[in-house]
Amino acid sequence: MRKFFFASIAALVALVSCEEWEPVMTLSYDEPEAFVPVDMDDQVNMSIAELKAKYPGHGTPLEITENWIIKGQVISSDKSGNVYRELYIQDATGGIDVKVGKSSMYNDYKEGQWIYVKCRDLTLGEYGYKSGNYGGDGMLQLGMADPTGSYETAYIDVQLLIDRHIFRGKVDTPVTPTVLTENQVSDSRYDGTLVTLKGLKFADEQFALVYVSSALDTKAANNRVFLSDKNWGITTWAFSKNKFLEYINSGIWDTATVGSGNENYGAITGKATAIEGKDAVHTYKELMIANAAANSVSQYFKMGSTEIQIRTSGYSRFSDTEIDPAILSGAKTIDVTGILTRYQGAAQFTLLDLDGVVY
Amino acid sequence: MKARLFLLSLLVAFAAVPRISAQELTGGVKGTVINRTDRTAVENARLVLYQGATEVAEVRSSSDGSFYIPRLDNGMYTLSIYSEEFLETQVQVTVNDGYVKNMFNIGLTPARKVSEVVDESLAEFDMDDSGYNDNPTVLFGSNDVFSNIVGYNFSSVRFRQRGYLGESQDVLLAGVKMNDAITGYSPFSLWSGLNEAMRSKDATLGNDALDYGLGGYNGITNIYGNASSVRKGLRGSVLTNSALYRLRLMASYATGVMDNGWSFAANVSARLGGNDWIDGVYYRSFAYYLAADKQLDEKNRIGFVFFATPGQRGAQNASTQEVYDLIGDNMYNSNWGYQNGVVRNARVRKTNEPVAILRYDYTPTDNFQAGATLLYRFGKNGYTALDWYDSADPRPDYYRNLPSYFNMDNDDLNRSNYTKAGWAREAWTHPSLYPDIVHVNWDRLYTVNSMNYDTYGSTSGNRSKYVQEERHVDQRDLNFAANFKWRPNAETIITGGANAKINRTENYKIIADLLGGDYYVNIDNFADRDYGSTPAKVQNDLDYYMANGSAEVLHVGDKYGYDYLAQIRKGEVWANGVFSRGNLSTTVGARLGVESFWREGLMRKGLFPGVDDNGNAFVVDGVALDVAKDHNGEVITSYGKSKVATFVTGAFKLGLNYVLGGNQRVYANAGWFRDAPKFNQVFLSPRTRNSMMDELKPVRTAAYDINWQFTGGGYNARVTAYYTSIKDQSKVMSAYDDLQNAFSNFALTGIDERHVGVEVGVKVPTPVPSLFVQGALSAGRYVYTSNPYMTQTVDNSADLVIDNALVPYWKETPVYVKDASGNYQTNASGEFTKKVSGFQEHYVPSTPQLAASIGLSYNWNYWFIDADIQYFAESYLDMNPLYRTDYAVAGPDGIVSPVEVEYMTSQEKFDPACLLNLSVGKSWYIQRKYQLGFSLNARNLLNNTSVKTGGYEQTRIVDNTVNKERYYRFDPKYFYMSGFNYMLNIYFRF
Repeated sequence: MRKFFFASIAALVALVSCEEWEPVMTLSYDEPEAFVPVDMDDQVNMSIAELKAKYPGHGTPLEITENWIIKGQVISSDKSGNVYRELYIQDATGGIDVKVGKSSMYNDYKEGQWIYVKCRDLTLGEYGYKSGNYGGDGMLQLGMADPTGSYETAYIDVQLLIDRHIFRGKVDTPVTPTVLTENQVSDSRYDGTLVTLKGLKFADEQFALVYVSSALDTKAANNRVFLSDKNWGITTWAFSKNKFLEYINSGIWDTATVGSGNENYGAITGKATAIEGKDAVHTYKELMIANAAANSVSQYFKMGSTEIQIRTSGYSRFSDTEIDPAILSGAKTIDVTGILTRYQGAAQFTLLDLDGVVY
Repeated sequence: MKARLFLLSLLVAFAAVPRISAQELTGGVKGTVINRTDRTAVENARLVLYQGATEVAEVRSSSDGSFYIPRLDNGMYTLSIYSEEFLETQVQVTVNDGYVKNMFNIGLTPARKVSEVVDESLAEFDMDDSGYNDNPTVLFGSNDVFSNIVGYNFSSVRFRQRGYLGESQDVLLAGVKMNDAITGYSPFSLWSGLNEAMRSKDATLGNDALDYGLGGYNGITNIYGNASSVRKGLRGSVLTNSALYRLRLMASYATGVMDNGWSFAANVSARLGGNDWIDGVYYRSFAYYLAADKQLDEKNRIGFVFFATPGQRGAQNASTQEVYDLIGDNMYNSNWGYQNGVVRNARVRKTNEPVAILRYDYTPTDNFQAGATLLYRFGKNGYTALDWYDSADPRPDYYRNLPSYFNMDNDDLNRSNYTKAGWAREAWTHPSLYPDIVHVNWDRLYTVNSMNYDTYGSTSGNRSKYVQEERHVDQRDLNFAANFKWRPNAETIITGGANAKINRTENYKIIADLLGGDYYVNIDNFADRDYGSTPAKVQNDLDYYMANGSAEVLHVGDKYGYDYLAQIRKGEVWANGVFSRGNLSTTVGARLGVESFWREGLMRKGLFPGVDDNGNAFVVDGVALDVAKDHNGEVITSYGKSKVATFVTGAFKLGLNYVLGGNQRVYANAGWFRDAPKFNQVFLSPRTRNSMMDELKPVRTAAYDINWQFTGGGYNARVTAYYTSIKDQSKVMSAYDDLQNAFSNFALTGIDERHVGVEVGVKVPTPVPSLFVQGALSAGRYVYTSNPYMTQTVDNSADLVIDNALVPYWKETPVYVKDASGNYQTNASGEFTKKVSGFQEHYVPSTPQLAASIGLSYNWNYWFIDADIQYFAESYLDMNPLYRTDYAVAGPDGIVSPVEVEYMTSQEKFDPACLLNLSVGKSWYIQRKYQLGFSLNARNLLNNTSVKTGGYEQTRIVDNTVNKERYYRFDPKYFYMSGFNYMLNIYFRF
């Protein structure tokens, strides 16, 4: 009998695969090995500047079919939320925005870390180009092809694509920002790189595009309110939903109008006839309050005579931080460090965090 | 298949030789031993008569089941009846004035062939973040033909008898109601693995009461659990269950009542390993039970029991059909991943909740008995989960990782990148090539943590971005129950009792694993995103912050996040009388009680600080913190004692029972109940604040049934028709909403249901001896009959997102009239025409409303073979209230259209399923001393892996349908039943 008993137990134990017994027996798990950086230096065959030079021209994104491999150091961080779903890398020749479409990427890509990008099957495209008098160049980005044609590139946000194209090398000393002269700001060589601009003075002008309702067509003129061409009393870098409510409720935007281009639907305090019809019961302002949302803001500065827009996301952690009144009055100038980007020919400056503002 | 069956030795059966002892006296005891289930005679049962602890006589029942023990002195005796296929039974008997006492029929309860793991045969469904509940029920009623047929096999599809929720089933241990004080759930996990110790039980169905309690409308079960009710001798078993765990080892020993009046019993077990079907689900559970009884004298017995089931088990998660189809496996479990090549589950239930029982029984006369129990439950119950701070969602099947996020045919969804969808599909269709993508990527979590050197306050080191938290629900539950049974005369039985409960449950979480980092910080991740610029507001523990100037730096084992007590007090008295006259007996029962509960916050949260002792707002860092107030002007606070909710509860029951001839009876019951809602159905967001629903109503239930039962000649049948209405139920669902960046809470009040149906169980002999045909049918219609009201809150805001608004599409989806060309018809004023009689009702979910079983049962010479075909249909998916609101139906354009109504509000019905199950068992005697047996239960022989057993709708709407007419649902998530699986149990008795 006893033999039978033990034989039964032995047989049952033998039934079992080892894998599933691991947690049962040990109750603990070994820590995985520390991060092992990739070294692909011998495969790199192109500089970032060389890659950017391959772009054929406005409106013609390049689907890369060659085995081009670039490397660069991470210069952006989405920790503060002002950079979102973009990874900027820079080598000695220039910088580029790699559209890795994930959030909280600063956990995986450290500032100063070397990144290798296998460009084959990715697309090199431009963002922010506009033709005509008020337009100008945009900035080059590396992403996926966008079949919708809305943009020249799409995010690289499928994990398997990231795993096949983006490789993480060793964590190195972070890149030292380049201090630019006023003339250099207009030089596209510095687009997408980490720079410091000195002596910026507030230009008493702000820009924000606010929607009556973000649930409606954001391209329709009757849904757009441009706060532009002057100082709208925005004393923060941008505004969150709560800060938006504070601003609009204070009445400082009551003179703003609904519409864009040739279509103008009158002041936001008027009845929302363009949305609710001729019997509208709400004003545009009331609808804006009901549909309150965070918003990006461009604060305009001058570096000498060159205009610099410091553009900040309403979802960044410092969006609601008040700007020193001494800066807004023009009494103090600031030195800023961040990423230089270009939108419709204008220099747009992206702060990584408020440590990048010194005065 | 990892399984192999065992070879079994051939062994020899034997029959024990009876011993007879005698005295020269005229008194005696006689009667007939019968099977309680089918009223057939039980032959060769061993009857042992004790006076006190002294064995007086031993006889065997004859072929007609009768027995006679002559020559007994006057006095009180205990008669123990043993028969191999039945549970051991004891009855008290008194011999008076030298007469032979006729006990008439003594019913034995069949030892359930395959009941071994019925109360634990269900893997834990991981529903924590879904907002839904999973509380499977277990079918008892061991003397009921329906329950005997359906018991084990129906549980695999999570069948709920009459469509009732599990919490409506009263489960008592030693006379104390053990249903969870917070949720009402049946507490089987407290003693799972102690099958031998907890084997002895009585159970009723429906409205029927028990000697230990009046019960509700869904049966009442009492498990004795004391030392003398454990089967005597040394027993052991080895069991494997391919759907649950590899190995269960169990041993028990019981002395029975010894000469000195003592009984001792012990039961230990271990349940270990994984299973054939669900990766990541494993057991590492142990169980122990120790009990002692002392028969002090003829009238007094005292007993003590202590048991616990410490251990842990991995949980199973639901995924969308898209995920299952991509992986090619409906058993995919998103909870686990490889860590260093080893399977690790992120969701692990860790429990150690001991129970101590002191029981006193008093039997002054044959006609009166009483007892009292003091029971204390304590210990820890934790459930791990991943927690993360400002980092990407680590769950592999997060919707943004799936092909459908990149490409959908519907243009409204703005998902039109076919190439990207293809790459996502490539990974998900090759799980073995891309384990890091389709399972939890533990290695990455460790890498992120170990590379995040950061300084917080005075602490420097690697600050974890991902941790494993352990959510605790630790109960201290003290119970007292007393009951009596009195037979003033042969026609009357009065039972009654009183009970009271004090429950203090602490809810909190701790850091279970820093996953390679050095510390974590006690701040609210969600508040941090919205209020990051005001440090005080993001504090989970504001008092700590005010005292120390920074949030607490956390290490493994530290409490964080939230900490509050659920306090519950209740007391109740009850009585039940059975009055017989001729063939008619009448039952009248009632109970009356009071139940109170409240929340007591132990951690002051920065978002809901309340006010200080002087009624002023807290001022932190020079800023006065907001003092939010509710509708009634009460301060919303996370700290301190909430209002006390008090309910008067009660029930009244009436029953009539008429015996028609010898083997038929007709009986009917009616019951009216008024029950308190449960703690977790009333607080809007107990993790963060004291707020309760505005209007608290008791749940009112009326339940009626009529039954016909036939027993005799090997036939056994029961037919029941029932009607039950349940009104004013409330419910709170909490689910993480990544659009709100917070946990969103949906509180529903005024949910009404109606349950109507029939239940049939039949067992019929065939011309072949010992072969029976058995069948069971449960055909019901369980529908919602009201549209409830909903209040929505989010954890990081005092605002009500939705304030007590009607959920107009909860109980039904209107059907619209179409014209010949398929367009929706409108009336003169342009409104869409609804089909008045065509409303699509919504059903009580997660149980088949139609379930049927037909099969053969063979039972001879210690062999049994059961083969059954089962059919399940009319099962529905659990609904979320959000999809039944005007807001969701109207869409971004605010206009309701028939297409939207039908799309958004309809309820999913599961496909019917057909299953084939087989059970075989046999036992042998060895060397006239030992017994050896096995039972093999093979389920789902057709290996059907597409049977949905449950699931839920995600409480979210697709957000990127800007400027479109409609909103879209998220895909629902499902749980599937395991394919072919077996349970083999080998047991021996020394």
